Amino acid sequence: MDLLIEYRSQLWAGLVTTVQLALASLFFSVALGLIGAWAKLSANRTARALAGAYTTLVRGVPDLVLIMLVFFGGQVTLNAIGAATGLWDYLEVSQFAAGALTIGVIFGAYFTETFRGAILAIPRGQIEAGISIGMSRPLLFRRIVWPQMVRYALPGFGNNWLVQLKTTALVSVIGLQDLVYNAFAAGRSTDALFTFMAAAFVIYLGLTALSDLGLRALERRYSRGVQRA
Amino acid sequence: MIRKTLIAAATLATLATGAFAQDKLRIGVEGAYPPFSFKQADGSLAGFDIDIAMALCVEMKRDCELVEQDWDGMIPALKAKKFDAIVASMSITEERKRQIDFSAKYYKTPARVVAKKDSGLEGTATGLAGKRLGVQRGSTHQCYAEKMFPEAEIVLYGTQEEVFSDLALGRIDAQLSDSLISQESFLSKPEGADFAFLAGDHTDVDCYGEGVGIAVRQGEEELRDAFSAAITAIRDNGTYKTVNDKYFPFDIYGGRPDGM
Repeated sequence: MDLLIEYRSQLWAGLVTTVQLALASLFFSVALGLIGAWAKLSANRTARALAGAYTTLVRGVPDLVLIMLVFFGGQVTLNAIGAATGLWDYLEVSQFAAGALTIGVIFGAYFTETFRGAILAIPRGQIEAGISIGMSRPLLFRRIVWPQMVRYALPGFGNNWLVQLKTTALVSVIGLQDLVYNAFAAGRSTDALFTFMAAAFVIYLGLTALSDLGLRALERRYSRGVQRA
Repeated sequence: MIRKTLIAAATLATLATGAFAQDKLRIGVEGAYPPFSFKQADGSLAGFDIDIAMALCVEMKRDCELVEQDWDGMIPALKAKKFDAIVASMSITEERKRQIDFSAKYYKTPARVVAKKDSGLEGTATGLAGKRLGVQRGSTHQCYAEKMFPEAEIVLYGTQEEVFSDLALGRIDAQLSDSLISQESFLSKPEGADFAFLAGDHTDVDCYGEGVGIAVRQGEEELRDAFSAAITAIRDNGTYKTVNDKYFPFDIYGGRPDGM
């Protein structure tokens, strides 16, 4: 316990990085997920094929492999381009950007499927009714598709988010000092690995409990006017 | 880097300011390998490797910046130019030399096997046959264990701390690692009280090589030689001894520690 208090600034710094990384990657993945779901449901064949390739590829490769590939492979590629063109000798790839982007891309694939399923769950007749009374496409999306899509997507969204939050722990391999990295470093430095792992465990549990509360509030908000089954 | 910088400067004399070569020297360190490198409560780094790195920088009159890097990504990060040198207790081996270059050694301690005091095990190929032997993944000890103890069941761990934890828990029968590390981080601690070294120093050159050196990218002979010269210089001027004595009761540069 004394050790935890002594190293609290390390744990705190790690927690901040973890939360920032999770939120930044969530932003990317929701954006990608919406685009992906739109592409998969679109009439355009190329868009469907691209989105299909994206979800198949990303969901089929281990997260750790992708992170290493983007971070180290990306850096080597950048260096090679720099050397070939003579424009730069070394360009730093930010660990945070690489981590957030990679995790965002990975979970974008899962969100694509979550959103696609949610849109499909909206009864087709409602959309046809909207069109028949002359609603414009944006209005149709805002009034009919969005509120119901969110409601149907929320359980899957919550699932993805909790996994995503924990996946941020993988970025410690690229030297990003998140909660797990800092807890490990402190634990190994003080020979109290278990103490620090236990602390990390409690902190992650706190984060997921908080997320749960938030998700439940969102579900209530988007279920107004709907009877609980 | 120097050569590439020159090419860049020649091709784009207007853009290349020539500042590249004078840049800060970035050194990759681990921060999780006490007493060689570890993190203090305020997040700052300390340890033998850290102090040696700083002493070498002073000797070479270079401005240095320490970059923390997880061990698993250490060599990829060096090759990707995340930093210019590694001072992280990295042993000089033939396998690594195919990818990176090393300075002369800055220390070398033998490896030894640790097991329960009353285990009756022997640190030989037959003595460990069928036993579970823990080593750190990707380390020189894995190489040696696979070569010398082919009949043992070799169990791999991400960090040395996990090897010690599992040995204490009885999940493995023995572990092979640096004698100094075992002494400082395990045998001298309460959880290591029932454990002891098995007889025998392991210094096989194929796996353990010439000792621990400073790694640089291939083709950077100038930087490599500057490090080697600086190591000799701090050995001679007493700086090495000051750093050494801060962490160890014996000289870890050459031979094996007394009484171990």
